[in-house]
Amino acid sequence: MHGSPLLARRLWITALIVPPLAFVALFVVYPIISAFAYAFFQWHGLARGEFVGFANFYKVLFTQPYADWTVNAFLNNVLVFFALMVLQNGVGFLLAYFLWRELPGAAFHRVAVFLPVVLSTIIVGFLWKLFLHPLFGVVNISLRGTGLGSLAQPWLGQEGTALWALIIANAWHMVGFPTLVFLAGMQRIPGEILDAVRMETESEWVKISKIVWPLVAPSATIVFTLLFVGSFNWFELPYIMAGVDGSPHKATDVLGLYFYRTAFGDQSGSGQDFGAGSALAVLIFMFIAVVAGFITFRLRAREIQI
Amino acid sequence: MAQLTLSGIKKGFGPVEVLHGIDLEIKDKEFIVFVGPSGCGKSTLLRLIAGLDTISAGEFRMNGRRMNEIAPSRRGIAMVFQSYALYPHMDVYENMAFGVRLMGLDKAEIERRIADAAQMLRLGELLKRKPRELSGGQRQRVAIGRALVRKPQLLLLDEPLSNLDAALRSDVRLEIAKLHRDIQGTTIYVTHDQVEAMTLADRIVVMNNGRVEQFGSPRELYERPANTFVAAFIGSPRMALLDVERQGNRLGLPGSGSLSLTRLPQIDERELVLGVRPDSLTITTDLAAEGFKGSVIYTEYLGDNTFIYVRLGNGTLVSIRTADAVELAPDTPVVVQVLPDAAHYFSRSTRERLAA
Repeated sequence: MHGSPLLARRLWITALIVPPLAFVALFVVYPIISAFAYAFFQWHGLARGEFVGFANFYKVLFTQPYADWTVNAFLNNVLVFFALMVLQNGVGFLLAYFLWRELPGAAFHRVAVFLPVVLSTIIVGFLWKLFLHPLFGVVNISLRGTGLGSLAQPWLGQEGTALWALIIANAWHMVGFPTLVFLAGMQRIPGEILDAVRMETESEWVKISKIVWPLVAPSATIVFTLLFVGSFNWFELPYIMAGVDGSPHKATDVLGLYFYRTAFGDQSGSGQDFGAGSALAVLIFMFIAVVAGFITFRLRAREIQI
Repeated sequence: MAQLTLSGIKKGFGPVEVLHGIDLEIKDKEFIVFVGPSGCGKSTLLRLIAGLDTISAGEFRMNGRRMNEIAPSRRGIAMVFQSYALYPHMDVYENMAFGVRLMGLDKAEIERRIADAAQMLRLGELLKRKPRELSGGQRQRVAIGRALVRKPQLLLLDEPLSNLDAALRSDVRLEIAKLHRDIQGTTIYVTHDQVEAMTLADRIVVMNNGRVEQFGSPRELYERPANTFVAAFIGSPRMALLDVERQGNRLGLPGSGSLSLTRLPQIDERELVLGVRPDSLTITTDLAAEGFKGSVIYTEYLGDNTFIYVRLGNGTLVSIRTADAVELAPDTPVVVQVLPDAAHYFSRSTRERLAA
């Protein structure tokens, strides 16, 4: 038979493609689309009511108290993103640079920097809650022990410091990831290029800013994009350390917590609104997808082939 | 201008010493080639001169000034790397401008220097291209241009031809020789290829196992090799080195007979190494003639020359160059003779040259 090998091949390909496609459709595409759909209905608990068009979107964006909460959570996410850009990616770049330059103890520090990344967020959250405990936490004890007792404070309990405490805990947890990616990028730079720079300047700053940084830009694209997505999807660490209400007084409220609370109810279980929650989820998803796509597209353009 | 003095230069990496005390005196405007087999330390020595690695012991002076602790960028030295090491994210112009901008030159001067270099190296059309859009030969010229715009007192080239294909290599070699004359500076060139060394150098530093075997002009190295290493390394095909025993004015090769030579070294040693280049050997099929007996392995006809490879009675393989188109079948028994005055003698124990 003439067509049979081709037919067998097609059957094979079909057999390999259909199951994963069905899986993705059922558990990824369908939930996303249904969340989109849910956002256009009114909800009574978990029972779907009538179609309301953009009413849920209008509610979370323009009616009080939702509008204030949305803006507050969004601005907190923006702060988290920029703070982590410096404290996580910036510090990660510097750490990678020092590790790459093989300063004494580099082998030990390479492991030490990456170790927290493999810890579960639950563990990191509890660990940092202990560190930051106002009375027994190692942070305040150290401050008091070194005569800086006046600086000791309830880090997680006041509006001015709570979000920053979470940001620092997150940076400590995840700094190993950008470090590793940047280090891999640096190790791809041929040694003779670095020798060539040394023949022209002894300035470490020129070397970093004019040669090393542009050449690790491909690593920066992925690190920036992932940090953006991670910052605006931020949920676990604030949930563990600050609770679902973003306490104190919504100082640590971020879009993830806010969505969860809106859809499933707050600490006391009240205020559940599935429609408004879905509308928030859709907005967050659209925002992340558009901006992440834009970042990737723009940064890709300046990547360099070594 | 650059006049270099290296005294007692040693370099160790951890417990391993790779340079064991190098002494060199290099004059201004000289073209110096470091040559030797891989791992002999020639590139290490170049990196010490550049300042890319630190000198473990000894002193390097340039124009009388101690350089050991001076940063590479402050030595007035430019270097062309084996892989060219162009900055991939900068175009040709930026690659050349990067270093001179850091030197603090004004814009007009930078543009003038780059225009000069671009003209000299035929880079005019390429100034806006990125390195990945250039061929190997073009990248090489950019790398040289980047070195030249800095107007270095000393130009270092690390195996600059090794990444080029054979056809380009001899062209670029000529260009480098011309460039050295034009820029009137001192040049140090590292290679493992003795032909490059012989054709380019004013003086050659032959290195082996972290030591200088001989430092001299190509002619000195060829005509008066200081030891058996230099004798075998310089010249192609290699000089034959025969372990001979001396009896009066006769030199005997075990299993191969003996021959008498005039002007033997005035020394008591009985065991010598006789060195003869392919063009100083003759061959005859007259088996009664005086000389070393052997049999033909292979004849190589090259048009203007013929090389005949002969295995002597003690197993040594020698090559003989003749201008005649002789055709000798393999296994033909022959007698190999040495032209008087063309022989080199070395001590069997020290491998050093013995004065004839």
